[in-house]
Amino acid sequence: MENLKNIEINPLKTSSSLGAVIVFLGIKNSVVLMHGSQGCASFDKVTLTKHYRENIPVYTTALNELGAILGGSGYLKAGVKNIVDKINPAFIGITSTGLSEVNGEDIHATFNDLKKELKESGNYNNLSLAYVNTPDYDGNFEEGYKNAILSLLQTFCIDDREGAADARNNETIDKNNIRNISDYKNNDKDKNKDSGAKDTENIRANVFCPFSFTAMDFLELRDLLEDFGITPVMIPDLGTSMDGHLDENGYLQTTSGGTDIEDLKKAGLNNLNIIIGSSLQSLIAPVKKITGLNTYYFSNVSGLRNTDLFFKFLEKISSRKTPERYKRQKRQLMDAYLDTHFYFLGKNIAIAEGIDILDSFSEVLSEVGANIKIGVTTSKAYENLKNRFEILTEGDIDSFGELIESDGNGIDLVISNSNAEYTAEKIGVPILKVGFPLIDRIGHNFKHYILYKGSANMVYEAANLLMSVNETLMEEV
Amino acid sequence: MQLKVKEELFDEPTCAHNVQKKEKKACKTAVPGSSTGGCALDGAYIVLSPIRDALHVVHGPINCLGNSYNQRTSESKGNETFYMYGMTSSINENDLIFGSEDKLKKGIIYAVNKFNPKGVFIYNTCVPALTGEDIGGVAKELTEKFNIPVVPVQSQGFSGGKNLGNKIAGDALFEYVIGKKEPNIDILTDYNINLIGEYNIKGELFLIKKALSDNGINLLSNITGNATMEEIMYSHKAGLNVVVCSKALVYLARKMEEKYGIPFIEESFFGLSSTNNAMLHIAESFKDANLIEKVKKNIESKTKIIRKEIEPYKKFLTGKRVLLYTGGVKSWSLISALNDLGMKVIATGVKKSTEEDKNRIKEFDANGNIIMLDNGNPVNLIKMIKDEQADILLAGGRNQYTAIKSLIPFLDVNQERSNSYTSYEGIVHLGRQIYLELNSPVYDVIRKAN
Repeated sequence: MENLKNIEINPLKTSSSLGAVIVFLGIKNSVVLMHGSQGCASFDKVTLTKHYRENIPVYTTALNELGAILGGSGYLKAGVKNIVDKINPAFIGITSTGLSEVNGEDIHATFNDLKKELKESGNYNNLSLAYVNTPDYDGNFEEGYKNAILSLLQTFCIDDREGAADARNNETIDKNNIRNISDYKNNDKDKNKDSGAKDTENIRANVFCPFSFTAMDFLELRDLLEDFGITPVMIPDLGTSMDGHLDENGYLQTTSGGTDIEDLKKAGLNNLNIIIGSSLQSLIAPVKKITGLNTYYFSNVSGLRNTDLFFKFLEKISSRKTPERYKRQKRQLMDAYLDTHFYFLGKNIAIAEGIDILDSFSEVLSEVGANIKIGVTTSKAYENLKNRFEILTEGDIDSFGELIESDGNGIDLVISNSNAEYTAEKIGVPILKVGFPLIDRIGHNFKHYILYKGSANMVYEAANLLMSVNETLMEEV
Repeated sequence: MQLKVKEELFDEPTCAHNVQKKEKKACKTAVPGSSTGGCALDGAYIVLSPIRDALHVVHGPINCLGNSYNQRTSESKGNETFYMYGMTSSINENDLIFGSEDKLKKGIIYAVNKFNPKGVFIYNTCVPALTGEDIGGVAKELTEKFNIPVVPVQSQGFSGGKNLGNKIAGDALFEYVIGKKEPNIDILTDYNINLIGEYNIKGELFLIKKALSDNGINLLSNITGNATMEEIMYSHKAGLNVVVCSKALVYLARKMEEKYGIPFIEESFFGLSSTNNAMLHIAESFKDANLIEKVKKNIESKTKIIRKEIEPYKKFLTGKRVLLYTGGVKSWSLISALNDLGMKVIATGVKKSTEEDKNRIKEFDANGNIIMLDNGNPVNLIKMIKDEQADILLAGGRNQYTAIKSLIPFLDVNQERSNSYTSYEGIVHLGRQIYLELNSPVYDVIRKAN
C-alpha cells in the first residue's frame, strides 16, 4: 500500500547511514565520520544527541558541490586526518551517504588507499579504521546496522589480520586451535592450563544484539552471561558506551566505553557467536564464515518461553546451572503475567516500530493475552511475524494512524517512538514510547525489556497505561 | 542540473563582512572532519516549516527528513496545523534509475487531496539535484492543478550551510508567496508591521505580539512562526519590516524594500533595554508623534514593572560571570539581556557573527573586556570557562553535555530552549532560569562524590 501513495508522511523509517553510525558509537574511544554533505552528519547528530542526551562524536567530510561532482576522495582523506589531529581517537568509523554514493565513486578504494597512506606515514599507528557503504536511498536503518557490524568483522578479523597477529603475539593459539563449544568440555589441555579456576571460566562469546536493546538490556545481558561464566565481546557494545555515565575524565570528545578494537581483532579466537534479533538473522551465515565459530541465533530473548529457551542454551554451553537470582526473576515474571493479565483481556495492541521491537513486544504481550492487531514496520523482512499480527505491513506513521482509526474493534494501546506521539494523541489512545527516537522522554537507557526481569517490566508498563484508561471508563458508566 | 543556487543569494550589500569578500560565496564553508551545523536544507526547513497550513515535502532519500523530523520547537497553534507533519518522497534506487519527478508529483497529489493545505513547499536535496530532477516543473504543474502556491525550494545541502538555507527560503517566499494576495481592509490599521525571522520558539511570538499590541502596533504577518500562507501572501501591505535575529533574512527584507517600498529595521527582543529600543524604533519608523509619545509612556511604565520583577534575581546574579556561546545576532542581543540582570559577560562566541554583529558587541561592552571567541570547540570552551572563572555557560543544545559533563552550570538559549526569553516577560524568565540553575545543588553533590 505504501507504494500507492508515493510519499512518506511522518516517516517511521530512518536511513542505513544512521544505523551504521550507531554501531560505530558502540566502539570504545571512537569517532564517526560521515562522508557526505554537512547536513547528513548534522541531522543524525541532533537526533542522536536528543535521544541519548550525550555528546555524539559524529563528524562530516563536508562534501560541497565540487566534491559531489568531481569526486570526494580528497574530502574523505582530509576529514580523517583532521579528526586525528584534533581528537586522536582509537577508532574512526566511516559511513557513506546518499550524496557520496550517487555519482558511483568507489569509496572503498579511497578507504583502502587512505589506510595505506596512513600506514606508510607512520604517524597513525594507534588508529583503527572501518568503512561501510550506506547509500541512504537503499535499505533502511537495520541494514546499515547489520552492514556496519559485518564491516567491523571483515576489517578486524580478516583484512587487518597482521594487526590481529600483533595483538596476540603472546598467545600461542592459532586458527587451527580455535576451540569449539562442543568439544570444549573434553579439552583437557585447557583444563590443565587453567588449574585452580573453574573449567568454564574461559568461555568467550561474540554477542551481537539488535539496536532495539536499551543500554540497560545490553548491561543486563552482559551480567547474565558473566554469571554463567561466559565473557561476552559485544559487537557493538551500546551498553557500556551509550548508557549515560559520567566518565572519570568528565567531558570526552570520543565515546566513553564500548567494544575494544583489540577484542574485535581476536573475535575469531573466541568460542562461539550468539546473535539475537530478527533484524540480525541474515548475519548468521557471514558471521559464522568470518569467525569460523559455532553460531547460535535467537530471534528475541523476551517473554517467558523465549527466555526459558535462552537459559537452557546458556546452561548447556556453560555446563552450569541457572543461578538462584534468575530463577527468582522467572518466578517474578510468572507473577507479573498473572497480576497484569486482567488488564490485557480483550485489549487490542498496535505497534509501529522496527522489526525487533515488533517481534519482542508482540511476543510478550501475546503471552499475557493481548490481541496483537496492527503492526507497521519499515522493511519487508517480517515474514516470520505474519502469524502473530492481524495486520502487518510496511508503512509510515500516517498510515499507522489510518489503520488504527479504521480498525473496527478499536485500539487500546499504541507502542511506538516519539514520532507517533502526535498521532496517538489525536486519536486518543495511550502510547508506550519505546525504540528510537525518544526525544521527549528521559532515562529510556534505564528501561529494560528483555529476559525475565525486562519482560516483567514491559507488562507492568503496558498494563499501567491500560489501567489509567480503564478507570476513566468506569467513571463514565 | 540545478546545482547552482542563485548568485545573488551570496551577495549581501547590507553585510559588511560580505562586501569585503572578493569572491561572493557562502559564509564559512565547512571543513572536512569538522562537526559544524546543518546544511542548506536544514536552514530552509527551519525558516519555512513553521508555516502551519502548508505541507512541507522533502524530495530526497529517507535520511534528509526521516532521521530528524519532529524536532522543531517552533510552536504553531490553530486548526489547520500540519507543522507537526514531516513528508518526504523517500527516493530509492529505482527512482534514481527511472527518475523521481513522477513519484514526487503523485506523492504530493495524494497528500494535498488528503490534507487540503493552503500551500506546498518542495525542498530539493543533494541526490535529486545531482541527478537533475526538475522540482520547479513539478511545482509549476501542481500550482496550476490545485490553485495554491506550490513552492520549489532549491535547498540541496552541498550548496552550503544553514545560513544559506535561510536565504534560499527567504528567496522562495519572495518569489512564490509574498504579494500573491490582498488582505481584507479591516485587518489593516495605521501601523502595520511584519516580523521577519521570529519562529515562535516556546511561544515567544505571543509575548512579542502582546507587547506590540499594547503599543497599538498591528502585527500583520509573522515570517514565519505560527504563520499561515495567507498572512505571508499579503505581507507586502505592511508599512515596516522588523528583522528579528536573522542576518540571513535581511536579504528578504531588502528585496521587499526594493519591490514594495517597505523600509526595514533590525531589532532584537532579548532583554529589557533591547525590547524598549525595538518598540521605540518601530514607533519612530512611522514618524507619528502620537504613536511615539504613547510608546515612550508605555516603555516607562513597563520598565518599572519589569525592573521590580527581576529585582530578586538581579540581587543574586549581579557580578556573576557568563560565557555566552551562541550564533549571530544573539552574540550581542543576549549581552544586553544579561546586562539588564547585572551579569558580567566575559566572552561571547562570534563564529557565526557578522562584522556588524561584532560592532554591536562593542557597543554593549563599555570597558572593552568581552572576549570575542571565534573557536568554540568544546575543549576551548571548557578551558576558557575554567581560566576565566565563568559561573555559567549559555549556549545551544550541542554544548549542553560539554558543560554539564565538566560540572559547569548550563542554560540552553538556542532553539531547544525550554523557556521563552524574549520581550518583557522573557527577561524575567531568563533571570529566573539562570538563578535556579546557579542554585542547583547537583554540581556540588557530584563534585564531592567524584
